[in-house]
Amino acid sequence: MDSELIQQIRNQARDLLESGAVKGIIGYERASDGLTARPFFAYEPDAVERLIFDETCTHNLVKYLVDKKGERMAILAKPCDSRALNLLINEEQIKRDQVFIIGVYCPGVVETSWNQKGQTQQPRCQTCQLLKPVVYDFLAGQEPARQPEAEVYSDIEEIESMPTAERRAFWLEHLGRCIRCYACRQVCPGCYCPECFAEQLDPAWVGIRIAPEENELWQTIRTLHLAGRCIGCNECERACPVDIPLSRLNRKLEKQVAQLFEFRAGLSPDEQPPFATFNKEERLGSEE
Amino acid sequence: MNLLMSRDDLVRWLQLLLQERILLAPMRVQGLVLFQPVSKVEDITFDFANTTLPPKVWFLPPTETLFSVRSCDGHTELVPATVEQQAVIFGVRPCDAKGITLMDSPFLEEPGDALYRERRAKTTLIGLSCRQAQPECFCTSVGSAPNDPSNVDILLTEIEDGYVVQVVTEQGKALLPQGLAEAGAAPPAPPEPQAVPTEGIVPAMQMLFNQPYWERLAERCLHCNVCAYVCPTCYCFDVRDYPNKGNIERVRSWESCQSPGFTRIAGGYNPRGTKGGRLRQRFYHKLLYFPGQFQEIACVGCGRCVKACPVNIDIREIISDLQQLGAKSG
Amino acid sequence: MNSEYQPKIVGLLCNWCSYAGADMAGTSRMSYPPSVRIIRVPCSGRVDPLLVAKCFQQGADGVLISGCHPGDCHYNEGNYHTRRRFALLHNLLDYLGIPKERLRLEWVSASEGRIFSQKVSDFTNELAELGPRSEG
Repeated sequence: MDSELIQQIRNQARDLLESGAVKGIIGYERASDGLTARPFFAYEPDAVERLIFDETCTHNLVKYLVDKKGERMAILAKPCDSRALNLLINEEQIKRDQVFIIGVYCPGVVETSWNQKGQTQQPRCQTCQLLKPVVYDFLAGQEPARQPEAEVYSDIEEIESMPTAERRAFWLEHLGRCIRCYACRQVCPGCYCPECFAEQLDPAWVGIRIAPEENELWQTIRTLHLAGRCIGCNECERACPVDIPLSRLNRKLEKQVAQLFEFRAGLSPDEQPPFATFNKEERLGSEE
Repeated sequence: MNLLMSRDDLVRWLQLLLQERILLAPMRVQGLVLFQPVSKVEDITFDFANTTLPPKVWFLPPTETLFSVRSCDGHTELVPATVEQQAVIFGVRPCDAKGITLMDSPFLEEPGDALYRERRAKTTLIGLSCRQAQPECFCTSVGSAPNDPSNVDILLTEIEDGYVVQVVTEQGKALLPQGLAEAGAAPPAPPEPQAVPTEGIVPAMQMLFNQPYWERLAERCLHCNVCAYVCPTCYCFDVRDYPNKGNIERVRSWESCQSPGFTRIAGGYNPRGTKGGRLRQRFYHKLLYFPGQFQEIACVGCGRCVKACPVNIDIREIISDLQQLGAKSG
Repeated sequence: MNSEYQPKIVGLLCNWCSYAGADMAGTSRMSYPPSVRIIRVPCSGRVDPLLVAKCFQQGADGVLISGCHPGDCHYNEGNYHTRRRFALLHNLLDYLGIPKERLRLEWVSASEGRIFSQKVSDFTNELAELGPRSEG
């Protein structure tokens, strides 16, 4: 762990709490396995000693702010998380002046699960073009000496190049494992609807039956609702208890949106999302 | 008297069982290990710690049709679902077997759940002792053990060149092949999972309902439902009717008290609308309400929730915290 | 391929242009295959991808979305949004194994009855070639 970075974070957090500038800090602490991290809410100045930051801090904390409306909070944000902050500020779920963003220079995080820590960076970190957060009030750490690789979509292209029947079988097999726990939705900062379409009773679009076709409907529409909004934190795939390759759904639309509209979500708090706007002259190739 | 079975004996036996029954066994599926119906014994994975989802997937499937209502030539008939075939589940760890026994309490208590009852009667459990304890295991702290035979029909314990076979019930005995030799030595000693002190937890829970501890703990909870779905003793479900090709089907599916809308009622009021209230409910059910009704803690120490929780809400840590809080308040 | 196979198409037609165009095809006694089940929507921009996905889940072999020509939307801009949403939906469904040929977006105006009947014929023939959804 980078002790200087952590000291910066703790000092900033302590100042914010002692001055009353914020009610609480949302950061990370060590998990019960003594190895990985977990989200931590600090409300007293002494509690800041529990704050950490290292390569196990993969969690996207921004989701918690959706329930903190009206309370002034500080939040630790990696570059990817800061895109989620911009998204929610843009969509008016967070007020910019209600959140103090403690940004961190991030060298990348590893895959973790309880008591298990990966040895190499997550693929999303290897191609992350952001060395520092896109929005912050305080920046901790030092610019990491890494060269981001160019974004490639080989995981998507592999599926795109399958014949139709093979693609269908691929998705029915993976989506067939879904137990509709909705963990993917619960962990996602972009999913904050008070009533999700999947929970509507009249009409029951998705219903409660757990079967491949219903699961596919659930995932198809969730993916579409995230089109142009998903910031690639991969929390959905991390949370899924049955290892469904959700990133290969969300990244498909990320690629499509980048190609069609030259747009990536969350890079600025006042961007115009592609589905809130239109262009009269464009030809998108799907109709005559 | 225990018996001995070689690996070849086991494979032959499972092949025989496969011919007459549904055989559920652990299988590797995309990096997970899941209980699935096997079509050939070669598909079974014998090398696993525990499955991602517990064997409750058989007795209370994630989704099932309870009955259909069909309209036929002007009259209506109700067609209940039935359980046709005998089944065997191979590879049940003692903790998960205890989980099934715990689920029996609510599901078999009169009048009982018809489908569960039928499936339970028609299913034989072949248990597999644990030779290693995992870091997340704590079965011995909640009334089970890595070699506990109480809740299976046959318990196998792996030894160097085969298995020691403990015959537990008549149902198990009827399934065993003939001619197995008697085991000379006792099965090897079980491993020792980490201990979690659980003394006094039930009375402690009675005093801690209004503690701010619950709301604080729940702050990091995302209500993702994964803990309830992977748990061997969580069994909440929802029931709805759906049209399906001219019939109506009554469908039952898994639900979870962690879901924000779980207690939302018509009109929109939600009696358990707070994060802390929902998280507290899960632990109260396991550590107070279920023991109050059925005299047993509804946790088998399998550790699946510990592994699966994306934000590390750890039941062992909570039990320890509650005991400390209980000691202070008491 | 079963020569008796009649594809089932769900047509989501906007009230002002496309539905009127289909109506005109009917009143003018233009003949086209009885494959399309028409659902009238106020604007093609009302078509939520959820409706389309649900049609496929319920057994539709093909889905047709039809609206006013860009620039002529009764609500000014609805169809521009349709166009953008459709591009994503089309790509995603194809990626999931529902071939692009099964989902179409057309612009049909109120006076284009003949064009509507032609488009439905073309779509039906193409779907007949492709076979039922249950087989791919």
